[in-house]
Amino acid sequence: MSNQIVFDNVSKFYGDVLGVNRVILSIPPGITSLVGPNGSGKTTLMNLMTGLIRPSRGHIRIFDMTPDQPERLFRVVGYCSQFDALPKGLSGYQFVYSYLMLFGYDATTCDELTWRAIDLVGLREAAHRKAAAYSKGMRQRIRLAQSLAHNPRVLILDEPLNGLDPLVRAETIALFRSLAKQGCHVLLSSHVLHEVDIISDQVILMSGGYVIAEGNIQAVRSEIQDQPMQILIRCDRPSELASRVFREDHVVEVRVHNDRRGLLIKTSKPDRFYLLMNKIALDGIRIESVAPIDDDVNSVYEYLIGTEEVTR
Amino acid sequence: MPQPNIAAGVAFEPQKEARVAPATLGAAPVIDLRGLSVRLGNREVLRDVTCSFTGRTVGLLGPNGAGKSTLINTLLGFWPASAGSARVFGSDIRSEAKKIRALIGYMPENDAFISNMTAVSFIRLMAELSGLAPELALERAHEALFYVGLGEARYRKLGAYSLGMKQLAKLAQAIAHGPKLLILDEPTNGLDPPARQRMIRLVREMRDSREMHIVMCSHLLRDVEETCEEVVILKQGRVVHYSNLEDERRSNRRFLELELQGDSDLFVETVERLGCECAPGALNRLKLVLAENVEVADIYRVASEQNVQLRRLNFRRDTLEDIFLKAMENTDGRQ
Amino acid sequence: MAVNKRTYRGYAGALTPAWSRFLVLYRFARRTQFRSKVQTVFFVLCFFFPLLCLLGLYANSHLSVFSFLGQRAGPFLDINGSFFLVYLSVQSALSFILTAFIGPGLVSPDLANGALTLYLCRPLSRTEYVLGKLSVLLITLSWITWVPGLVLFFVQGSLSGWQWMANNIWLANAILWGSFVWILLLAMLSLALSAWVKWRIAAGALLLATFFVGAGFAQAVNAVLRTKQGYLFDISRLVSIIWQGLLRQRGDPPLPVAEAWIAVLVLAGLCLLLLMRKIKAAEVIR
Repeated sequence: MSNQIVFDNVSKFYGDVLGVNRVILSIPPGITSLVGPNGSGKTTLMNLMTGLIRPSRGHIRIFDMTPDQPERLFRVVGYCSQFDALPKGLSGYQFVYSYLMLFGYDATTCDELTWRAIDLVGLREAAHRKAAAYSKGMRQRIRLAQSLAHNPRVLILDEPLNGLDPLVRAETIALFRSLAKQGCHVLLSSHVLHEVDIISDQVILMSGGYVIAEGNIQAVRSEIQDQPMQILIRCDRPSELASRVFREDHVVEVRVHNDRRGLLIKTSKPDRFYLLMNKIALDGIRIESVAPIDDDVNSVYEYLIGTEEVTR
Repeated sequence: MPQPNIAAGVAFEPQKEARVAPATLGAAPVIDLRGLSVRLGNREVLRDVTCSFTGRTVGLLGPNGAGKSTLINTLLGFWPASAGSARVFGSDIRSEAKKIRALIGYMPENDAFISNMTAVSFIRLMAELSGLAPELALERAHEALFYVGLGEARYRKLGAYSLGMKQLAKLAQAIAHGPKLLILDEPTNGLDPPARQRMIRLVREMRDSREMHIVMCSHLLRDVEETCEEVVILKQGRVVHYSNLEDERRSNRRFLELELQGDSDLFVETVERLGCECAPGALNRLKLVLAENVEVADIYRVASEQNVQLRRLNFRRDTLEDIFLKAMENTDGRQ
Repeated sequence: MAVNKRTYRGYAGALTPAWSRFLVLYRFARRTQFRSKVQTVFFVLCFFFPLLCLLGLYANSHLSVFSFLGQRAGPFLDINGSFFLVYLSVQSALSFILTAFIGPGLVSPDLANGALTLYLCRPLSRTEYVLGKLSVLLITLSWITWVPGLVLFFVQGSLSGWQWMANNIWLANAILWGSFVWILLLAMLSLALSAWVKWRIAAGALLLATFFVGAGFAQAVNAVLRTKQGYLFDISRLVSIIWQGLLRQRGDPPLPVAEAWIAVLVLAGLCLLLLMRKIKAAEVIR
């Protein structure tokens, strides 16, 4: 049995409007982050995976199932939408419990699983209060609890960290990490790029309905061949550093940073450059900081997607 | 030069540490809280909060339920204080609530718009309700919309706006009447990275224009780090920490953060023999405390000898995340 | 050449007087009101009956108008309480329809997307907000109820002479207060419904229901319990009882006038209470 989530040339159109176009993906276990501007198709992709919408063309496979078999699929998949909607009048406990009953478990099992899920998100004290009285972060957490109460192997979460304070973020991320270690697929979408950097095993970048990059971030970056690596170095004698560095043939460009204490160096061979820095640092130039400004999701995002205007 | 600014910080009654910064003579604090307690229903949400701000930007942090929204709502006069006092620009919130509200611009966290109105009419309505004459209100509405970057979209109905545009419209209505205090509640909520950068840039510009004071409430520590000079952390209704980020940044030159490529174990061993402390950090980075007589050049010497690449190097101050986690810990340990 | 950098500018200039802020709400509502053609046309049609009355008054006094008919004609209208009762009844029905147009959309858009917080974080109290919304209805409805009514009164006064006016000044009073009771009640009811019911059409339907279903219910109660107290549920009847009292009509009203007044005031108070419950800047759910 395969352990991948596979998209085979999938497209989805809403009438004339494009949802996603020609998506080819094969998602392994671990934490995969879906990144892209609003309207790029992230929610569409997630809805396609859970079978909430059907693709206009192409096929989707989750392990050996297809999304149009919800009875089988949702025993294995847990989904948490981005919308802050809870049924009225239920307490947190009742919310999770009632959805568990749909799986056919008996009352004792439901109760056990409910408390287990509630403990995982840390809401035990508040479990019997009305969910409508919860703060935004607590509502997010109870919905998360509901999506993982039945021990799914695939978790599809649309902006799960939205509204959570820093402590709870860290705890939730630790939760995802432990699930990933057990071999689960955790697929989440997020706008907070530096967090995506820290937690993901894989990243899928989307824009305008197309998947424009996917894979491990470092690997994605190294595939973007046409851009050499940019490194920002702050030191006390930038001009001297510049002249030393310029002598190397792998250094493509050196720019003085705005504050006149930094150099932006572009090199096509970072390894050689760093070893060179070791020598230069001993020649009397005082290095204050070294930062590769490219090596993360943010720069890949900016390079591939750019900074579009909010008002179209 | 900016001596008064540094001296004017936060004076607050110690809960654990006494960090009383001398107040500037003659400068009325922007927000002055003394023993403020607020009770909602039968729960005491804010307990005995004593704090005063005079700086340009303050970040308000704290876990959910710490009382941040309640504090903001109390300052706006939505909830009455059950004990203590609060003054904004010298006016008491109990007796001069309307006067205070005329000076405040508020950008709420939740949706706040009228779907059937165009952005211009909406902002104009809000500006007129704040006391501007009709033509002036229209002028300033357009100015505010131009400033936040809503171009042609301003003539479209708010109901049709995307999330990012709604946030910008909320910001525009908060600044259109030229408030002296701007309260932002989760301004980058749900914004994608370019929109978030735009919002942060706007907040920084407004801060640097020196025309207003800003209180920003956010869960994203990065946002607060990039815009605020001071930070106040609330927990369970009390102030548990205050920092002046400028001061923090200026001090602490002995902490290094490194990212290595090469044999890190040998490197760590050698560096520790020099007297420095090492600890692993996030993302395969190394946190280093330089010993008294050790400089960066010495670290580089070790790297050069061992053919290790120092891919990343910077002096670290206690970033906001560490400060926040420490503040949470301290109060927990105190039970 | 100078480049004008786009920066933020504060404002520390003059402000409009605090008491007049609630009128801002009126101005903005009026703008949206007359965007609807149907509403505008209907509003104009509401003046049709007063105009007819005016012509009648004139014809009444200047009987020479009828000389072209070849006969001698006498005054055919008696300008007294009954005349104005008819006038009020017609105009009140029309104002009911107009309220059904305007009322439901007054408060619900503000509540639907959280805009109320923005209203109340300004130097505007809840009372001023309610007053502002009320004034939208009160001012518009006044134009078609007591304003033309008083015009008719004064026209008749100028036609009949000073003595008539002095004798009948109570009529003017009655017109004013009678109209006011009706339009205040309508305004409060529709505002309360607009605050509690999100969907405009539902709020409008509920407004109609309050009157018609209330009337039907009143009949049912009267039949079953063999009493007249059922009329307490029939709002239009209560108000017409009040009018009959004000306009000094003979005839036995089914309920004492005082009782009708009390019932109406209680209803208005109830609506106000319901309204204030919904007009809150920040909700706390326990």
